[in-house]
Amino acid sequence: MSQTVWTLLRPRLLSARSGLKPDARGTNRARLALFGLIGSVFWGGAFAVFYRVLTYFQNVQDFGDILAMKLMSMMVVTFFTLLLFSGIINSLSHLYLSRDLSLVHSLPVSVGDAFLSRWLGSTFDSSWMVAAFSLPVFLSYGLVYQAGLAYYPIVLCAVFFLCLLASATGSLLVLLGAAVLPAGKIRTLFVILGVGLALLLVLVLRMIRPEQLVNPDSFASAVLYLNSMQALDWPWLPTTWITDTVRLALKKEWGLSLFNLALSASCFFSLMFFTRTAAGFLYFRGFSRAQTTAKRLFTPVKFHGYGWESLLNFLSRPARAFAVKEIRSFFRDSTQWPQLFLICALIVVYLYNFSVLPLDKSPMKTIYLQNVFSFLNVGLAAFVLSAIAARFVFPAVSMEGEAFWIIQSAPVSMRTFLWIKYFLYYIPLLVLSELLIIASNFLLGVTPFMMFLSTVTIFFLVPAIVGLAVGLGARYPNFKSENPALSATSFGGVLFMLLSFGLIALVIMLEAGPVYRIFMSRMHGHAFSLPQILWFILSFCLALFLCIFAVFYPMSQGEKNLLKR
Amino acid sequence: MIKLIDLTKDFKTTLAVNRLSLDVAAGEIYGFIGPNGAGKTTTIRMMGGIIEPTGGKILIGGIDVSRDPVGAKKIIGFVPDRPFLYEKLTGMEFMKFIADLYRLDLRAFSRRSLELLEQFALLPWKDEIIEAYSHGMKQRLIIAAALLHDPRVMIIDEPMVGLDPEAVRMVRDILKGLASQNVTIFVSTHTLSLAEDLCDRIGVIHKGTLLAQGTVAELNLAAKTGEARLEEVFLTLVREA
Repeated sequence: MSQTVWTLLRPRLLSARSGLKPDARGTNRARLALFGLIGSVFWGGAFAVFYRVLTYFQNVQDFGDILAMKLMSMMVVTFFTLLLFSGIINSLSHLYLSRDLSLVHSLPVSVGDAFLSRWLGSTFDSSWMVAAFSLPVFLSYGLVYQAGLAYYPIVLCAVFFLCLLASATGSLLVLLGAAVLPAGKIRTLFVILGVGLALLLVLVLRMIRPEQLVNPDSFASAVLYLNSMQALDWPWLPTTWITDTVRLALKKEWGLSLFNLALSASCFFSLMFFTRTAAGFLYFRGFSRAQTTAKRLFTPVKFHGYGWESLLNFLSRPARAFAVKEIRSFFRDSTQWPQLFLICALIVVYLYNFSVLPLDKSPMKTIYLQNVFSFLNVGLAAFVLSAIAARFVFPAVSMEGEAFWIIQSAPVSMRTFLWIKYFLYYIPLLVLSELLIIASNFLLGVTPFMMFLSTVTIFFLVPAIVGLAVGLGARYPNFKSENPALSATSFGGVLFMLLSFGLIALVIMLEAGPVYRIFMSRMHGHAFSLPQILWFILSFCLALFLCIFAVFYPMSQGEKNLLKR
Repeated sequence: MIKLIDLTKDFKTTLAVNRLSLDVAAGEIYGFIGPNGAGKTTTIRMMGGIIEPTGGKILIGGIDVSRDPVGAKKIIGFVPDRPFLYEKLTGMEFMKFIADLYRLDLRAFSRRSLELLEQFALLPWKDEIIEAYSHGMKQRLIIAAALLHDPRVMIIDEPMVGLDPEAVRMVRDILKGLASQNVTIFVSTHTLSLAEDLCDRIGVIHKGTLLAQGTVAELNLAAKTGEARLEEVFLTLVREA
């Protein structure tokens, strides 16, 4: 690799080093400690789960090893898919959309070197997380199956080439896409990717049909089941070579394992040769075309001279101005679209899974299970809502970006600004959550009491989660970020997720006891004692207080911080 | 119309503005000049209600900015030094956004916005997304938007950065026209020829402290530079500070 490529990568390395240095306020250290802790918990958790599952598989006669290898094959395909999508998004951003590209292309460096440096940056960004979290999976395989020492370096190499293969494929697709799409429509790749990802997710989950696993009637015979599990993966796919590299290393068949590793490596080098050659022809042309202003995907239609904005006429004028600005900015930014499609797909999968839950096959009473699921569904829906809020609501204040001066100099108080932001997200998220809860409760066929309780609980949890997201987003804003949407993974974003999950868990725990008592008393026709009634009131009041506190306290902290800026 | 009393901004690591006091009368154009890092932008951002002072008072049209920031902002037209805007809106949509924030009469807005966009040569691009505008076009759009609500006070940071010569002349004429209509203008600039030509009085700030203020003749007296041009007066004052 030429010296120029290293030089082009140096600013990135130096920036990363500066980010690791302790600052005067100690924020960097706190951030690193928090991320380190969360990362370790997830890493340890993934290891523990896989270790437990594989130990269990090992104890299952005949089936165990087949199941473990099938799981490995599925994991490798999942990792590759994640890496590929992440690679496409990162390549698009690193190669065509980053702010520093104008500087890079003004420097006396060849297109090949510029491409290679950008590709390396993109590969790192798209791969490090998947690579880090794939290691506990392979480590647990190594320990459970008592692999030889050589297994571990081979696994590292396999993960390394898996990342490189996915990134090279992603970059090649982006290079070709940017060359084929009309100038100004390059960002449409995000939309195509979003639709593709959503469709793939729905298809894959419905093809796996996990509900069948608890329904033994659906398997004609054990032999049929075994055959389907043992079916060989397609031998021409890099994921098969990677799986075989690990699988054979696990069995200490070193020669064959290294052969598969060599296949993966040679595939990567060939792919990289094509990608770099294609970059020589296409990259600069595509980059120049991407400099054109992005064209709008569609123009909203007007009905008798009235646009969709007229639907917001009931709002006060500043609120309407913010709402219209926010909606326009959101839908005109095609980078937002993949995640929007993904959320739609997840909601479809979420509801569909409730419709196929085989509750009648369970040994427990159906009515009991229906209501337990309904109660757990409140927590699950709230967790989904937290994830959506982390991605869309938490960055809402940061999305003002460098244009925040407009708000600061406008005759609108910071409190009004924040509350307008709050209601802009609160209303659609409340509608979404209630629809999710009511639809899943209908599919479960719960009792009217559980329907009432879950809709009321979510009615109070939504404002709390939105308040927490807007408030913490204002407390930890980043107006200088190139992509404010990424602030979901910042210190404030992670803090929001932790507090939000904590709040949901507390509310669910406070309600769980009384709900169980009420439900059982209805089933058995018992009356409540006075201490029990007091306990119910106290629990529900405490849950309500927590929700109200989570709305107002973060909002006031956020307001204070914005006023101090 | 503008009154700064002992205005101070201490960033803990830097004392950006140190007990700054000045008065600007209605209809006056006041130029604010100083070397880089002198405290000009900090002062202007405090006047626009964008950052809080750590000490002192700002009165705009008799309204204390700290006590009634919204009231003060209603009569201010603010133009920052860098034209950051909502890039995904069109020029016209941005004007409408500002009109809604200032609660302008909608019929008056239609007329006024078209008038301003035409005045700033932006009418052909009014329905284009701001992302596609050049730096100068964005700067012109910000000035046009700042004038939309007919402010009584204009606070402008580096108005001519990125503007072509024709636009510079246009903005200068517009500012003079506004002053003749009794609008008070507080303008910070590095373009000393502009300050000399445009401003009734000029304040020289250095290291957060006001070194001198007055007409060019009065500044010459303070700097003991005879009848020198503003550039020489400025350099002398800063060198001797």
